[in-house]
Amino acid sequence: MRLNKEWTIKGIAMAVTGTILVLAGIAFAQHRNFKEEVVLGPGVTTVRTLGDYFAPLKGGPNDANVFILGSGEPGGTMLVLGASHPEEPATSLTAHLLVENATVEQGKLIVVIHSNPSASTVTRPGDAYPRFFHIETDWGVKRFRMGDRWANPLDSWPDPETYVHFPSGQLLAYMDVRNLNRTWPGRANGSLAEQTCYAFMRLIEAEGVDLVIDLHEAELEYPIIGTIVAHQNGLRIAAMASMTLTAEEFRIGMEISPLALHGLSHREIGDHSNAPAFLAETPQPFLDRVRGITDESLLLTGKDEFVMKAGEHGLLYWPIDEDGWPIDVRVGRHCSTILSIAGFWTMFNRSKPLVVTGVPRYADVVAEGVGRFFADPRGARAQVVLE
Amino acid sequence: MYIHAGIVLGVIVLVFALARFLKLSTELAMLGAALAGLIVHGLVVPSRELVGAFAWFEVPRHIVDGAFTYFDVVLIFLTATLFMNLLKDAGGVAYIVRGIVRRFHRHRALALLFLTVVMLIPGALTGSGTVTVLVVGALVGTVLAYMGVSEVRVTAIVFMCAAMSAAAPPINLWAMMAAAGSNMPYVGFFLPLGVLSVLGALFSMFYLGWKGTPIDLEQIMTELPKPPRGMRWWKVVVPFVVLFGLIAAGRVWPWAMPVLGLPLMFMIAAAIVVLTNLGQLRLIKVISDTVEQLLPLVGVMVVVGILVQVMALSGARGLISLGIVTMPLVAIFATLFIILPVSEGLIQYAVAPLIGVPLILLFNMKGFNPIIALAGMAAMWPIGDMLPPTSVVGRATVMILGFKGRYYSGFAKTCLVPAAFVLLLGSLFVVFSSRLGFLVGG
Amino acid sequence: MAVMVLYYVITALFTVILVRNFIKTRDVQKGILYLTVLMPFVLRLFRLK
Ligand SMILES: [Zn+2]
Repeated sequence: MRLNKEWTIKGIAMAVTGTILVLAGIAFAQHRNFKEEVVLGPGVTTVRTLGDYFAPLKGGPNDANVFILGSGEPGGTMLVLGASHPEEPATSLTAHLLVENATVEQGKLIVVIHSNPSASTVTRPGDAYPRFFHIETDWGVKRFRMGDRWANPLDSWPDPETYVHFPSGQLLAYMDVRNLNRTWPGRANGSLAEQTCYAFMRLIEAEGVDLVIDLHEAELEYPIIGTIVAHQNGLRIAAMASMTLTAEEFRIGMEISPLALHGLSHREIGDHSNAPAFLAETPQPFLDRVRGITDESLLLTGKDEFVMKAGEHGLLYWPIDEDGWPIDVRVGRHCSTILSIAGFWTMFNRSKPLVVTGVPRYADVVAEGVGRFFADPRGARAQVVLE
Repeated sequence: MYIHAGIVLGVIVLVFALARFLKLSTELAMLGAALAGLIVHGLVVPSRELVGAFAWFEVPRHIVDGAFTYFDVVLIFLTATLFMNLLKDAGGVAYIVRGIVRRFHRHRALALLFLTVVMLIPGALTGSGTVTVLVVGALVGTVLAYMGVSEVRVTAIVFMCAAMSAAAPPINLWAMMAAAGSNMPYVGFFLPLGVLSVLGALFSMFYLGWKGTPIDLEQIMTELPKPPRGMRWWKVVVPFVVLFGLIAAGRVWPWAMPVLGLPLMFMIAAAIVVLTNLGQLRLIKVISDTVEQLLPLVGVMVVVGILVQVMALSGARGLISLGIVTMPLVAIFATLFIILPVSEGLIQYAVAPLIGVPLILLFNMKGFNPIIALAGMAAMWPIGDMLPPTSVVGRATVMILGFKGRYYSGFAKTCLVPAAFVLLLGSLFVVFSSRLGFLVGG
Repeated sequence: MAVMVLYYVITALFTVILVRNFIKTRDVQKGILYLTVLMPFVLRLFRLK
C-alpha cells in the first residue's frame, strides 16, 4: 500500500516534470532556430559570411552574415557591428535598418546585424527575458529574437576556471570568454567568441576597414551610458560628433577608451589595426536590476516606475521620466550617431570620403517609428537573407 | 507596478510559510512559492503597452530557464564533492588526521592549527560548509574530544570552521552568485576572502579549543578510523597536486592549455583517486551517496534559480532591490550583522542574487570597493547556516557529531563569541572596503 | 571540442545517478526535488538549452 502511494505521487511528479520539459524544450528550440528575415536594400552589393575571412567559422554557429554596401567609388570603409550583445536590441535593429535602407555614394559600408549570433540564440537564465520582440510595420508585424550577453553554452562549453584575456593577460570573469565585447582582438584557436573577434580582425584587414562602430545599449545604473567611447585614434571625430549631436539632436557624451581595460572593441580594434574604433551606447532601462515587470513591453517602451524611483534617489547615471526610453528613440540615436561619425570621418579624411544616404536620422525614426523602415519580405522584388 | 510586485511577493512569502508549516522541506517550499508566484503573476498581471495577454505557453520555459541559472555552479559543486568523498572513502582523510595527531600531539597550538587547515580545505574547494562537516567533521571532532575539549565546544568549533570553509576561497558560492548577478568578474576575491575565513576559523578554533588536556596518543590512535593498508601519503598528495597544477597551468599558459573548466579538473583529480586506489573504492555507491548528500544544496540552487526568474519576471526582484538601494547607508551598515545571517537562515543562497546584488550595486555607486565589500558580506552569510528555518550546516554538525545537548542554549550560544567576531570583521570589511582595496590582488 | 564531449559525459553520469536515486528514494519530497534538479541536466543532454 505504502509503496503504491509513494509511486502514485512520484508518477504524477514525473508526468508534470515531463510536460514542463517538453513544452520548455519546444520553446527553446523555436527560439534557437528562429530566423529573422532581412530584405536586401538598394545599397547591398554583396553578402558574405564571417567564415569567408576565417575558414574555421564556416558553417558554424557564428558564421555571421556580412552585408557589404559598395558604391563603386573610391573612399573610406566603415564597419558597423550590431548585437555584440544581443540583449541590446536597438543595436541589431539599427544594423538591420542600415542593410535595408542605406545607399553608399562614396566609399564602402559593411554591416553585421548579429555579431555574436550564438548569443542571440539563448535566453538569459534567471532574468526572465522574453524570447522574441515584435515591431509594427506598414505591412504587418515583424518578429525578432531577443538574446543574451554571452554566447550560447551549447556552442561554447565549458568556460575556463578564470578567463585570461589574450594577449594582455588580464584576468576576467570566466563567462566573459563568451562575451564578444571582452574577447577582442581574438585568438585563432580560442573560444567561439575569441575566434569570432579574430575573424572580424581578418575582415578589417581584408576589406581595408578604416573605422569601426560597435553598437551597444546600457542600463541606467551603469556609468558608461548615452555616450561615444572612442579609441585615442578617433578622438577628434568622436568629440565633433558628440558636440554636434548634442547641439542639434540629442545629448550624447564622449569618453576616451581606458588604456588598461582589455578585451573591449574600442581598445583592441584600435590597438591591433589601423581603424579607429567607436562604441556607441544608448539607455535601455530593460537591463536595470531594479526594473519592474520584465517583458516585451519594457523592452520596447523603456518605461519603468521602479527605475524612475531609483532615479529620484540619485542612483542612476542617466535621466528617465514617464516617457521612458522607447526603442524608436534608441534606434534613432544610433542612426544619427553613425551618420555623424561617417560625416566627420569624411571631413577629416578628404581623400577617403564616406557618403551614406537613405538612412533616417534621429527625428525621422522617432517621428515615423523604426518599423516604417523595414521592407515586406513577401514583397514582389524582395531579396531575403535569413539572419 | 508597486501593487502588482507587492502581490506576487506576498504570495511567494505566504506560500513559502504555509508550505513550511505543512512540513515541506525548505527546497520544496521555495519551489512551491516560486510556482505560485509565477501563476499569480500570470493571473493578475496588469495590462501593458504593446503586448497582449500573458502568454501561458512561456510558463514552463520560465521554470526551466530559471532552473539553469546556476547550472555551472551545480556542476562544480557535484564534481568537487565527488572528489572529496572519493578521497575520504579511500581513507585519505583519516590518514592525514592520524598523521597530524601523531606528529603534533605534544604541541597543542600546532595541532589546532593543522586541524583548522584540514577543516578549511573541503569547503574551500567545494564552497559548501555541509561538505566540510560530512567529510572531515567527525574526524576532527574525535581528535578535539581527545584533546579535552567539551562536547558543546567541539560542536561549535566544527560548525564555525565549516562556515568559514564555505567562505574560504577559491570557491565562495555567495560571492560567485552575487558577482555573476552584478556583471562583475569573480576575480580578486582570493585574498580578502582568505583573510576573513582564515582569521575567523583560527579565532574559533583557538578561542574554543585552547583549554583542554594533553592528548593520550595510544587511546586516540585506537579510536580514530584506520586507513586501508595500501594508503600512502602520496596517494593523498598527488590528486591535490594535479588539481592545483591544472588550475595553475590554466593561469600560467592560458593560451597553450586546452580549456578544461573546474568540473573536469575535479573529475580528473577524482579519477586519480580512483586509479591509485583500484579495488578499494565502492565507486557507484560513492557517486550515488554524493548526489544524495548534495541533493538539498543542489536542489536549493536550482530552486533559487527558478524563484529568481519568477521574481525578475514579476518585478518582485526589482521591488526588493529598490527597497534595499533606497535605504540610508548608515542603516544598512548598522544592521548588516543581523540582516545577512537571518536572511541566509531564511532563504539560503537566494540571498546572493536578491540581497547581495543590489547592495553591491549600491556600494559601487557610493564609491566603496565592491570586491572587498562583497567578500565581507560573503563571510557573514555562512554564519546564518545555523539559524532557522533552514539551519543546514548547524543541523548537519549536530547530527554528524551526535551532539545530545540543547541546540540553542547549548550549541548556538557557544558559537556566539566567534560568530560575533566574524560578523564584526565582515562589517568592518564592508564599511572600510575602500581602504582595503590593496587586498584585491589575486 | 573533445572537452565539450567530456562535459556531456559528466552531465550524463550525474543524470543517470540522479535518475537512479530518484527511483530508489522512499522519500516523496526528495523524489520531487530529484526531478527538479534533473530538468537542466536533461535539457542540456538533449542540447535544447
Ligand atoms: Zn553591450
